[in-house]
Amino acid sequence: MEIEREIVLPVPPEEAWEALTEPEQLEEWFANDVELDARPGGVGVFRWDDGDVRHAVVETVEETERLVLRWDDDGVVELTLVEHPDGTRVRVRESSPEWSMALELRASAMCPVA
Amino acid sequence: MEHGARAPGVRNVPGRVEQIFGALADPSRRHLVERLADLGTATPTQLAGELPITRQAVAKHLAALEQAGLVRGRREGRNTVYRPDPAPLREAARWLDLVGAQWDARLAALADHVERRRA
Repeated sequence: MEIEREIVLPVPPEEAWEALTEPEQLEEWFANDVELDARPGGVGVFRWDDGDVRHAVVETVEETERLVLRWDDDGVVELTLVEHPDGTRVRVRESSPEWSMALELRASAMCPVA
Repeated sequence: MEHGARAPGVRNVPGRVEQIFGALADPSRRHLVERLADLGTATPTQLAGELPITRQAVAKHLAALEQAGLVRGRREGRNTVYRPDPAPLREAARWLDLVGAQWDARLAALADHVERRRA
């Protein structure tokens, strides 16, 4: 079970990558206060004005192509960048073992064998 | 869903949904819910016969599942008979839809941000 979304940004992958990895830029669209060391093993701290705080560890960095973060609850966010005629296509996939366990169960528990 | 930059995190999982995910994080409890879904109704003793755990452990798991609303118990004579309740699973699924909607809002904010920077 995972969530997948995508968008095309009108900038080349290098610029899109910066918007996704530079704390000052992340503070413009993702969270209010961002610390992120976008290197493998680097730590991310994201704070929102409503008091929500999320911690992450950077799992994978393929400069201008792919960034994978693991949240402290074991959920994973994967950002993939691909060059596109209009700029860069950014795809986000978020998954969590908790969701998968609940949703796999949902499939069988909601449709019991008669 | 709030749009625009700095949409707050949905990540504050609502207590009820967290309880549902928490209750289902345990494999024995998932198995119990699935067996109940197959059987329709069952007592702890019946369920203990199907799992490599004691009746007491089954009763404890059922109490946790009932707390999360995933099963309902009813006294029938000397037994408590349990049946599954799929409603919380639908609630959890709706919460995941909300996480998806949050990404829509974030990506819209990202696109706005990139546009502003170019201007």
